[in-house]
Amino acid sequence: MYWLALRLPDLPLQVFSRGSADPGLLAITEAHPRQQVVAASPAARARGVRAGDSVASALAVAPDLQLRPRALELEAATLTELAQWAGRFTPQISLDPPDGLVLEVSTSLRLFGGLQALADTLVDELRTLSLHGQLGGAPTPMAARWLAACRPGTLIPADHGWQDCLSALPLAVLADAGVGQDILMLLHGIGARNLGDVLRLPRDGLARRQAAAVSAALARARGDTPDLRDWFVAPARYTATVAMAAPTDQLAPLLFAARRLFAGQAAWLAARQMAAEYCRLTLVHESGPTTVLDLYCGAPSRDEARLGLLARERLAALALPAPVEALQLTSGAPVALAPKSGDLFGDPDATQHNAGLLLERLIARLGTDAVIGVQPCADHRPERAWRPVRPATRPPAHASAPGLRPLWLLAEPQALRYRAALTLLAGPERIESGWWDGADVRRDYYVAQHKDGALCWVFHPLDKPDEWYVHGYFG
Amino acid sequence: MAQPHALAALPPGLVWQANCLARSAVPGLPTGFAALDAQLPGGGWPRGALIELLTARPGVGELSLLLPLLRCTPADRWLVWVAPPHLPYAPALAAAGVPLERLLLVRTASDAETLWATRQATTSGACHAILAWPKRIDHSGLRRLQLAAEDSATPLFLFRPADAARQPSVAALRLQLSAQAGAVRVHILKRRGPAPAAPLEIVLPQRPAWRAGAQTALPRLHVLARPAPARSAFAGF
Repeated sequence: MYWLALRLPDLPLQVFSRGSADPGLLAITEAHPRQQVVAASPAARARGVRAGDSVASALAVAPDLQLRPRALELEAATLTELAQWAGRFTPQISLDPPDGLVLEVSTSLRLFGGLQALADTLVDELRTLSLHGQLGGAPTPMAARWLAACRPGTLIPADHGWQDCLSALPLAVLADAGVGQDILMLLHGIGARNLGDVLRLPRDGLARRQAAAVSAALARARGDTPDLRDWFVAPARYTATVAMAAPTDQLAPLLFAARRLFAGQAAWLAARQMAAEYCRLTLVHESGPTTVLDLYCGAPSRDEARLGLLARERLAALALPAPVEALQLTSGAPVALAPKSGDLFGDPDATQHNAGLLLERLIARLGTDAVIGVQPCADHRPERAWRPVRPATRPPAHASAPGLRPLWLLAEPQALRYRAALTLLAGPERIESGWWDGADVRRDYYVAQHKDGALCWVFHPLDKPDEWYVHGYFG
Repeated sequence: MAQPHALAALPPGLVWQANCLARSAVPGLPTGFAALDAQLPGGGWPRGALIELLTARPGVGELSLLLPLLRCTPADRWLVWVAPPHLPYAPALAAAGVPLERLLLVRTASDAETLWATRQATTSGACHAILAWPKRIDHSGLRRLQLAAEDSATPLFLFRPADAARQPSVAALRLQLSAQAGAVRVHILKRRGPAPAAPLEIVLPQRPAWRAGAQTALPRLHVLARPAPARSAFAGF
């Protein structure tokens, strides 16, 4: 077994700041046990705001500081989202609250090209979620977690005697493992400064001073007793939420946050070798009902860039009723999708894929009614002999061939003012139909040549031989 | 002093002589009309180029000229019509052999949308041909379309009014179309190569080919969808 621990420092701040490129002067506060700052953005830290300050003293050094109450549910949701995302690296993941995950990676090392390569990939890809993390690796989850917290980036090889590397860690790490503050004070008082000093203390003496928790934690970290953990089980659908640092109705920050969600969904789907045909983006406003965007891909897909383009077109066309506070993404029911295999002689599916992509983009921007196909329809009346259909609909196999028909049809027949400019070439073709549905047509159609050579399709109603109309052009 | 035959002996593509048509690396798409192919560089509609078709009015045969190209649309590519001025009439297109299931009719609300949709279709690489009817288009718009077309391998046909012939254009090929009795007169305004001598006259088989003045009678067609009144019958029979 080999464990990587991923820890998100300042998670209370990160859940708010990940949705924007620059969070500005932001501090996260909690009300219990007292009104205090738990995390502050880099700009705020530069002004002198520290975690642990009281709210009043933070406001004293930075009067324009923006305060947000700590959102514990959002932190838990972010951790769950992270666990789903990490599913692409290993199937064995365990949540390590309050601010981390532990991953059992011994079976994934070969695939990713070794421990260091895996750790580098993980940290790199974490950036696509706009989260900042620290990594530590050790043969036990507890030791990995301590390393991630105190010596970020350290990966202890699983050699004989690896436990000695833990001796230099400070006592403070024991607080994570359920050791009370009073015991830590006691250990400090008898001269212990790091874990090595604690290990040299006699065990029975520790047990007599109600410090058995210390021995238990050390035994778990060193692998002397098993460390039992629950594996994380991912939900059946991907859901994630990103909160905006400040409510906004601008396109760029919304799109920035939405791309984070799409990246998470793409990784989630890729880990399961699945794809979703649609997803729902919900925009949460400060007040009033939420705005819901349903993003449809033409075919099951897990391409985040494709969703990003669709969201861009939809968001650009959207009139927001109020500034947006948070974005939620829910994926549609995932379906299995075999990954694409590389082809030596070019990709035969690329054109098909591009064709679908073009249709999606046109429909996303112009609307379903503006992008159509046409089909002939069995009716004698020219204006009813066609109908709009969804693009790529196959026409009926046997289309009856009427007489000579023009390539252009006018939406409405145009009254002809100068009949003299036309020479009738052929005709008449009488079309008399439609008495049953109120759109009665009784006309004599002719092919006519305009004096400059253009060919038109003209008619006159049967009962009005002097009224002439143009109905089409032989383009 | 170089001899003409010495020039002719040079490998093709090394020197372009101004009295020859420009050669392109890829052959063009055949137009379906041998006389027109002979006059176009590459022997057909150039791939990946902006082609302007200038017509004074609809009905001169502008679509019939493209029908051979439209007919051979592959099953995985679109045939995009952006903002046509009238309705492409499905029965006539089907009768002419155009694969209607590949036809994509894009209606737009403004010139900006027309330009956007045309560029999207051109750069997608998923179209067999693109036909666009912009109402107004300026020089920078033309330039952007030409650049987009050059990056793709798609011919982009831009239909413009006849008076656009007076304005300069970046299009690789400009044809002015006018109607002739039973044919279309194609005047090549611009191509990569020498200026053509005389306008071509191309007989279009799809068009009714009657000579002006000579009235030929079509077989009289009469469509009557009006059933005769039913004879009254006794109730119960």
